[in-house]
Amino acid sequence: MNKRPILSKEKIPLSDAAMKPERRDFFRKTAVYSVSALTAATIMAPVKIDAEAHQEKKGDPAILEEKKWGTSFGYPVTHNLYGQPSPYEYHNTRRNTKLLSSGNYYASIAMSPIHESMGIITPNGLFFSRSHGGTAEIDPNEHRLMIHGMMEKPIVLTMDELKRYPNVSRIHFIECPANGGPEWRGPQFPSIQFAKGMMSCAEWTGVYIKDILKDLGLKKEAKWMLAEGVDNSHMGRTIPIDKVLDDAMIVWGQNGEALRPEQGYPIRLLVPGWEGNLCVKWLGRLEFAAEPFYAKEETAKYTALKPSGKAIQHFYANEVNSVITSPCPDKPWRSLKKGEIVEIEGLAWSGMGTIEGVDISFDGGKNWVEASLKGLVLPKAWTRFSLIYTYEGKPLLLSSRARDDAGHIQPTVKHEREVMGVESVYHRNGIFTWEVTEKGEVNNVQVLS
Amino acid sequence: MFKSYHNILLSSVIAAAMTTTVVAGDTGGTRTYANGKNVIDGGATYPVKNGRTAAYFVNETVHKSTFNKGRIPTEKEVAAWNIDVMPDGTGLPEGEGSVEDGDELYEEKCASCHFDFGTGGAGYPALQKGNAYEGQKSLTNQRHSPDDDGPVRVFGTYWPRASTLWWYIKTGMPHPAPMSLSDDEVYALVAYIISINELTIDGQELEDEYVLNREKLLKLVMPNKDGFVPNIDGPDGLENTRAYFNDFSHYGNGTRCMTNCFEGEPKLARISGSGISDYEPPISTKRELPPKKEGADTPGKTAYETSCAVCHATDAMGAPEVGNKKAWHAVLKKGIENVYHHAIDGINGMPPRGGTSLPDNEIKQIVDYMVKISK
Repeated sequence: MNKRPILSKEKIPLSDAAMKPERRDFFRKTAVYSVSALTAATIMAPVKIDAEAHQEKKGDPAILEEKKWGTSFGYPVTHNLYGQPSPYEYHNTRRNTKLLSSGNYYASIAMSPIHESMGIITPNGLFFSRSHGGTAEIDPNEHRLMIHGMMEKPIVLTMDELKRYPNVSRIHFIECPANGGPEWRGPQFPSIQFAKGMMSCAEWTGVYIKDILKDLGLKKEAKWMLAEGVDNSHMGRTIPIDKVLDDAMIVWGQNGEALRPEQGYPIRLLVPGWEGNLCVKWLGRLEFAAEPFYAKEETAKYTALKPSGKAIQHFYANEVNSVITSPCPDKPWRSLKKGEIVEIEGLAWSGMGTIEGVDISFDGGKNWVEASLKGLVLPKAWTRFSLIYTYEGKPLLLSSRARDDAGHIQPTVKHEREVMGVESVYHRNGIFTWEVTEKGEVNNVQVLS
Repeated sequence: MFKSYHNILLSSVIAAAMTTTVVAGDTGGTRTYANGKNVIDGGATYPVKNGRTAAYFVNETVHKSTFNKGRIPTEKEVAAWNIDVMPDGTGLPEGEGSVEDGDELYEEKCASCHFDFGTGGAGYPALQKGNAYEGQKSLTNQRHSPDDDGPVRVFGTYWPRASTLWWYIKTGMPHPAPMSLSDDEVYALVAYIISINELTIDGQELEDEYVLNREKLLKLVMPNKDGFVPNIDGPDGLENTRAYFNDFSHYGNGTRCMTNCFEGEPKLARISGSGISDYEPPISTKRELPPKKEGADTPGKTAYETSCAVCHATDAMGAPEVGNKKAWHAVLKKGIENVYHHAIDGINGMPPRGGTSLPDNEIKQIVDYMVKISK
């Protein structure tokens, strides 16, 4: 076979490639075409060097050598009836650290690999997982939802009955309010997965609680709702009626399939934008009352102590926040060449609204430029931002600063500490900075100016 | 449908916002509900307008309909699940237990995690740190350096309500076996924990023989009762909450400065040492196969299943069926070396190497595997 050098600078018109009868040739030439187009549109140098290196070796073995996957059967369709990721992706996984467990891994958290995340949806197997007494495996046939308290007509629903309500699907992130919490006094984690991985984003399917309540004759005095799980921890949290009647949902679907056990199968509460802890998993009971309930996870924990000695309780919404996901310590710029054009990309989110814009700084927040938002921009959902950048191999302090449509802007670390001190544990949303070294290494730093 | 204040609020939330402060941009968000009140968390809401909320289309008939699913639970069912305990005593049953009994139970069921006298450790929370009235004063402490004393946040010094402890123990403890303690046992444990925090009820310290009951527990005033903002109690609870979170200065808000946002060079804080990096599993972004588990793979088995089973799993293709003794007895009459050769060079309808590009040694492994399970 006449094997052409793949990385030629010469443009091959598509029509030429398309006329060749051999399929393999067609794909090769299409590849040549697009590489050339890219080269022309960007810069010549690095690609040319690669091309010369391959010329010396007579080409890339990945192309020249026959591969077993092209010369034998793959596995039949009957294999893995529930699909699995490629075994080559096995490093893309949730991770733990002993430090963030309450003595054991039953009351603990597994971080989502957000550096590997694409778009705004987290695959179900990679969604961060937090439990207070292990992951319950509930038989849905033996599970009920009870709604009672200050109403004319309390009800109990089987899972089948619940799913007969008309459903809605909404894309929302869930974030543990302790995301970034170990870093109030300074950076701790040389990893984005641990610095910011207590969050994920999914499309949830369920029913608005307000659509159920219409039948039940909620009393005027009912101002608070207790949501309680039936798992080991019997987690309870109090939700104000305003949120219940706005966008709070009971969900059973996650990215087009049933909730995973780690996410509360068969049902969980979803209070869009609010503390992950409020989105009670393994949900069994909603009770309405005139006064708040004072559950264990809204007094002992999930309260933010300020320097005055007073702590914020019922600190519902995760504030506007952002982080650059590329580059990051887990995916640095080590292999970038000077002059290479690259996308700086990140995630922005606000539990209080819709992301309106993100600014990026290269000097630790002294001067800023506006990044582009890309893809879907939805309320209380992960939002992607992007900036095209020519890498110069110089040290950088890369920061991002998001703002939302309700008027919230990420504070500097300095400002946030002035207001909240360093003991509040929860709700840290100060501007996040990566130090990029000359070698393209990425370090987690904080700018205190 | 029942008419109530909430139904009115509900329908007005759904109706297009008429007199609302629309937020910046065209996201469809507004900072007020249709009743004119600010959104409770200080954020935005997205009323349905022209059949949509934000980017989502809505079937508005849903919000105008009632569905009447499920059934009314029996009193017994509600009682079985209604396990919460509120500060005013709602849900707190009658019962009693002494500090002494609590101490004994604590040793038996709690000390293995929370350690002697509730000192905590190994990741399990402490239940006391000395006199709670003194400890409560530490809540203004800030640990700016590792040598600083921090705020003490244990039950006695921090929690605003005692009811929470009773509820917590009853429904969540002991951690491996929640819901296993009787009400009297819970009273005894609560009594013990109150005593080790050196709290008083009606001015009285809890000595060993002190017997706690419902009435006494409800009299316990926690030192940090007023330590939390906003004030969520009473008829103004919701409005206090709304006002608090709509004043962004309570939790901080940035400014959109674009140039020269601070003087001089940025002051940096770095990770000290290697930071926290004991991750399980360690971070890697390589694309590679997981390490093989020892003994997990019989030589030739996987290769047989991916490359050979398609013909050899049944006799439909005329190939010797794996597992068929008789068929393989006939094959092996030729001698194993010949079987290897046929596998490598092909025979009858079988292409060389079964259509694979596997090296000789792997083909031989596959043959050995096929022979082994066909004996």
